Amino acid sequence: MTERFREELRGICGASAVLTEPVQLLTYECDALPHLRESPALVVLPDSAAQVQAVVRVCAREGVPFVARGHGTGLSGGALPVPGGVVISLARLNRVLEIDIPNRLVTVEPGVTNLEITRQVAPFGYYYAPDPSSQQVCSIGGNVAENSGGAHCLKYGFTVHHVVEVEAVLPDGSLTRIGSRLADEPGPDVLGLVVGSEGTLAVVTKVVVRILRRPETVQTLLAAYDTISAAGTAVSEIIAAGIIPAAVEMMDALAIKAAEAAVHPNFPPADTILIVELDGPAPEVRELFAMVEAICRRTGASTVEVAADEAHRMRIWKGRKAAFAAMGRVSPNYYVQDGVVPRTKLPEVLGRIKALSERSGLGIGNVFHAGDGNLHPLICYDESVPGQAELAEKVAGEILTYCVEAGGSITGEHGVGADKKHYMPRMFSEHDLDAFQQVRDAFDPQRICNPGKVLPTPRLCGEVPGPYREHPAERAGLAERF
Amino acid sequence: MTVIQHGRGGSPGEAIDGITPRLVAEPTSGEACAAVLAAAAAGRVPTVMRGSGTKSGWGRPLDAVDLVVSTKSLNNLLVHRDGDLTVTVGAGVTLARLNTALSARGQWLPVDSAFVGTTVGGALATNDSGPLRQRFGTPRDLLIGITLALTDGRVVKSGGTVVKNVAGYDLGKLVTGSYGALAAIVDATFKLLPLPHASATLRAVYTDPEPLAADAAAIAAGQLEPMAFDVRAADTPDGLRWTMLVRFASSPAAVAAQLDAARTLVHGETSAMREGIETRAWAEQVALAWEAPSTSLGASDAVVRCSWLPSRLGEVLALARALRADCGMAFTGRIGAGSGLLRLAGGDHTVAAAIEQLRLDSSPVGHVVVLRGSRVLRSLVDVWGTAPSAPAAALKRALDPAGILNAGRGPL
Repeated sequence: MTERFREELRGICGASAVLTEPVQLLTYECDALPHLRESPALVVLPDSAAQVQAVVRVCAREGVPFVARGHGTGLSGGALPVPGGVVISLARLNRVLEIDIPNRLVTVEPGVTNLEITRQVAPFGYYYAPDPSSQQVCSIGGNVAENSGGAHCLKYGFTVHHVVEVEAVLPDGSLTRIGSRLADEPGPDVLGLVVGSEGTLAVVTKVVVRILRRPETVQTLLAAYDTISAAGTAVSEIIAAGIIPAAVEMMDALAIKAAEAAVHPNFPPADTILIVELDGPAPEVRELFAMVEAICRRTGASTVEVAADEAHRMRIWKGRKAAFAAMGRVSPNYYVQDGVVPRTKLPEVLGRIKALSERSGLGIGNVFHAGDGNLHPLICYDESVPGQAELAEKVAGEILTYCVEAGGSITGEHGVGADKKHYMPRMFSEHDLDAFQQVRDAFDPQRICNPGKVLPTPRLCGEVPGPYREHPAERAGLAERF
Repeated sequence: MTVIQHGRGGSPGEAIDGITPRLVAEPTSGEACAAVLAAAAAGRVPTVMRGSGTKSGWGRPLDAVDLVVSTKSLNNLLVHRDGDLTVTVGAGVTLARLNTALSARGQWLPVDSAFVGTTVGGALATNDSGPLRQRFGTPRDLLIGITLALTDGRVVKSGGTVVKNVAGYDLGKLVTGSYGALAAIVDATFKLLPLPHASATLRAVYTDPEPLAADAAAIAAGQLEPMAFDVRAADTPDGLRWTMLVRFASSPAAVAAQLDAARTLVHGETSAMREGIETRAWAEQVALAWEAPSTSLGASDAVVRCSWLPSRLGEVLALARALRADCGMAFTGRIGAGSGLLRLAGGDHTVAAAIEQLRLDSSPVGHVVVLRGSRVLRSLVDVWGTAPSAPAAALKRALDPAGILNAGRGPL
């Protein structure tokens, strides 16, 4: 990277918005997956779409790779810098541009946080549905990149169901609108492709989201079970009764213990806790909630606690949402995995995970979105014990194998990023991956837009698609995968 | 001459836009489908995908049809995982057959196409939808996995069979609405919904559109959660009438309560519809734009789709009324989504002028697309009204470099 290049970026964004000092770059070395780190050549902090466009244009002209970054809360290394490349931080594009209540649309810049949208429209009785656990801090641009979900996506879907239009800079530096505020734009659903593309197809500079009317009623219950399979039976019966809850969450004993230690939600002692939330018009919720309560009792819940008021409901959710961070209370280190299985395969896969925990000697806590089969095993380890970090990573990988073997996915909401790209051949054939690359090349023929993420390319020579195998160069310590 | 394996001469029953195809291939597997596409690409043979042909006249007019690839025989696959609320189904299976199978286990794919015989592949390729989109969205919102046959001869998949999955690019969404211009859909996996226990519809009839628009805004602003929320304008023996339909589906008591609550918000002449009467009313609503219920309209009238911001419903209805001065008109719309179908009767030049008017910058509607229209009309106005975006065009070049798919009919 030449000094002329750096000067050009300073000319675009202002000298103070181009960071090149190693100490300044430290913050940007990783996202919320701290074991993958790279130092970028520089970081730019544009404060307008025009500046983003100008930066990308210069990168495109010079063939310099760039990585867009929101608030760095991603869990798959999707914002991991490229050595020698540029990080485009979108933190300063944080304006709420338009609130259109009659049409239920809010236009924001990508650096606005997820929860800020709800904060802005709550006075009107509306909210933004996708609610990843990190919603207080994560950026909407990052949500678009990752197609973020949350606890309520069983009923309400993911980011892709709530974003109607984006403005984006394509890797060649052109600024374009993708999608439309109006329904039924003719042509293929390019927006549906871009949402969830993990920042590899475009840099989003404006997002139009759909907001929802607050449901008239929300009711939440917490049921305690002696076995995870009894709780699983309850979930199956709820679904079989034709009820789609707003959320169905499960936590196992280790996760309960951790949450209790961290935020004292006052959960009952149990092997498994099931949280079920229904929302909607009051008469509907009243009627269906009684059915859910009956199912929980019939399937052997030792206690069924119905949230009496909003404070009680928030306490239950606080315990659930804190579960990840709370693992720190019961284990020096932990690894958050994200995998998906068909809902009916949950008992089988949880059984395999339990056996794996016993076999490996590592504690594994389970917190998961039971309604949609999205598992979040938390693998506990102690990095001060030689070999345990590596073991934890291996155990995490083994769990993904169980997910794929059960007909599921290697990621339900955290993304592939840099972390899981070498698992992609477990889910997809060489042809599938080639087609993904073709699509990517259609947007980014120079391969400069967040390279090294999502797809396991460039493959090491001799690597064959299929289950992960160690490459001879890796075994010899000559190469490693990121 | 390119050799298309297992190709045969086309029959009039397989016509595309009224033209009998020279050659029809009816592959029985994804691999065979991809092989046909690869051969067609090698020979640069313009190719049109066909399901059951319910929308085969859509698109820019064609002069000749060289090759039709029929998905009719991609119809053996139907795996219903009712415990997981998912289904994997071949592209050639009709929505009607699919939903009959799903209903045996109390589930459904809530896509209410106007076309009874439409196939899964056809519904996806056109992102077909009906009044149920108010609650369930369009097919793209329910799609969780897809298998595609590409023009380079490969069969690829994207997504999977689980409802939550962010691994890899979502090629399923990409081909939704592509009209078969990017790849052939071989099979698709959807998330499903339980069939509602009960349903009822409030109908409110108005002599003028303004109070309807005001009532619609009141319902939209409230906390009612209709499953369908529609408007229509059609001539009746008493003159032009404006009708709002609000459908609730839930448990019986909840349906009754919501219906009562909705009634307090509307000022038109209301009636509640249930069971057979309700079913027929919605069937009629879905068909109105396409079939000829009244004497002033004919089976070959143009059908134009357009969209609007929901807050502009009143302006849209006023525009529909104004168009009626020149053309025969019927209108059905989705109030929540802001999308509707205008049926326009009259000479091609009159209808073309009406379409140009809809496309003016000052018009309250956008994305004005001619779905059905005579060949003359479709040469007077561009069917799509817009050129593909740069990314869409680049994707077309990447996935169909020979440019054979959909034979230039658009939208790509």
